[in-house]
Amino acid sequence: MEENKKDTIVCRCWDITLDEVEEAVDQGIDDPEELKRILHVGMGPCQGRTCGKIVNRILSEKMKKPVSQIGSTKLRPPLVSLPIREILGLTDE
Amino acid sequence: MNDVYDAVVIGGGIAGTAAGYYLAKARLRVLLLEKSFLASGSTGRCIGGIRQQFSTPTTIQTMKESVRLFSTMHEELGVDVEWKNSGYLFLAHSEEQAKLYRKNISLQKQFGLDVEFISAEACKCIVPLLETDDLIGGAWGPSDGQANPFLVVHAYVKNIRQLGGEVRTGEEVIGIRVVKGKARSVRTASGNVYHAPMILNAAGAWAKEVGAMAGVRLFVEPERHEALVTEGVEYLGVPMLVDYRPDGGYFVQRVTGQFIGCFTPKEKVAGHDHESTLEFLADMSRRMVRLMPALYDVAVLRQWAGSYCMTPDGIPMIGKTDVNGYYCIVGLCGHGFMLGPALGKYVAQFMTESTWPGPVDEFACSRSFGEKEKMA
Repeated sequence: MEENKKDTIVCRCWDITLDEVEEAVDQGIDDPEELKRILHVGMGPCQGRTCGKIVNRILSEKMKKPVSQIGSTKLRPPLVSLPIREILGLTDE
Repeated sequence: MNDVYDAVVIGGGIAGTAAGYYLAKARLRVLLLEKSFLASGSTGRCIGGIRQQFSTPTTIQTMKESVRLFSTMHEELGVDVEWKNSGYLFLAHSEEQAKLYRKNISLQKQFGLDVEFISAEACKCIVPLLETDDLIGGAWGPSDGQANPFLVVHAYVKNIRQLGGEVRTGEEVIGIRVVKGKARSVRTASGNVYHAPMILNAAGAWAKEVGAMAGVRLFVEPERHEALVTEGVEYLGVPMLVDYRPDGGYFVQRVTGQFIGCFTPKEKVAGHDHESTLEFLADMSRRMVRLMPALYDVAVLRQWAGSYCMTPDGIPMIGKTDVNGYYCIVGLCGHGFMLGPALGKYVAQFMTESTWPGPVDEFACSRSFGEKEKMA
């Protein structure tokens, strides 16, 4: 089971595993905003679209709180990853 | 009597956690209070650059000590904080700028810094993707670098706890009790009161408000600065490129392969405003590709804003205040992350031994700001 956790990817952008997330939570990093900063989960090209819900569910299970009480991370513009060429094309028109 | 400490530190950013660590290391019973989560203020919003190339002896020497502390942090704190001496390259696009850099370099060399003014061709050797049209040369400091602000703060906190200190997040200080000119205790929004003979204001953007709680007027004001980060691409070791032209900016490639950068806004936005703007996204993108056209095809992942905590003269304020036992490490003017380890260490030594380990006279809280002070 522990071996599986080391192979289970939670964040596909940064290859963060379930084992790494659980270890961080066990060390007291149990706020989604802090997990994001320490592990980079939610900071890759998907901006948390894939991993955000998974991380919140792990937090919910570990902390024995409903997902609705876990909170979420701040959304940042431009919301989707945009190549600079497109940013300049969009704004220079 | 559980709520009595030797020192209470207000602020869970770089200044508070570094100072807290050195206070705990000096065997003081430390309590650090952070109103939100760790590094939730300016520290966690900065781009992580660390440089020694400054233009005054005090800052150069302080930053030399900070670089020493960053480069030994892995051993000292037991955490890899992603320190990398990836260097700083200040670009000169005019003779005037080149002259200024050469003048700074001659001063920096007096303090033993390994800095050189190099040609545009030499700049291109360091950064092959650099656009060198109009470039005269650059001030190159290979021992400057970068680290991860979140990891540094967490490393200090982990060590404070290991040394027996306490760190409480979500605990906002709302009052400081002063009796007969001496700081006695702090009160928090959750109704707790913590007593200590020494209280340190390391509240960053909120330093003025936290000063006022003790009746101390601090001439510090937050100003909004914006930043952005791109997706990660192959790590090419691009140093911090600093372009001081009016439409310039600065950015570095992080060890993750991401490019992270910002520029100083033309018009000051004062206050606790952390809105991100489309103007910044477009301007910064344009400024980055001007220096490095290869970035056209790199995607921006996110942008955000944070505060510089400014003093009237642009240099930090550390040390004692008019209230006995109430100390400050504030107004770090956008250089807090890089100055933090050294200044945190210095202020901790000053609090415990009443001596400064480095030359910091010009950073004294008690200095006068002349007209500015009269107007306030």
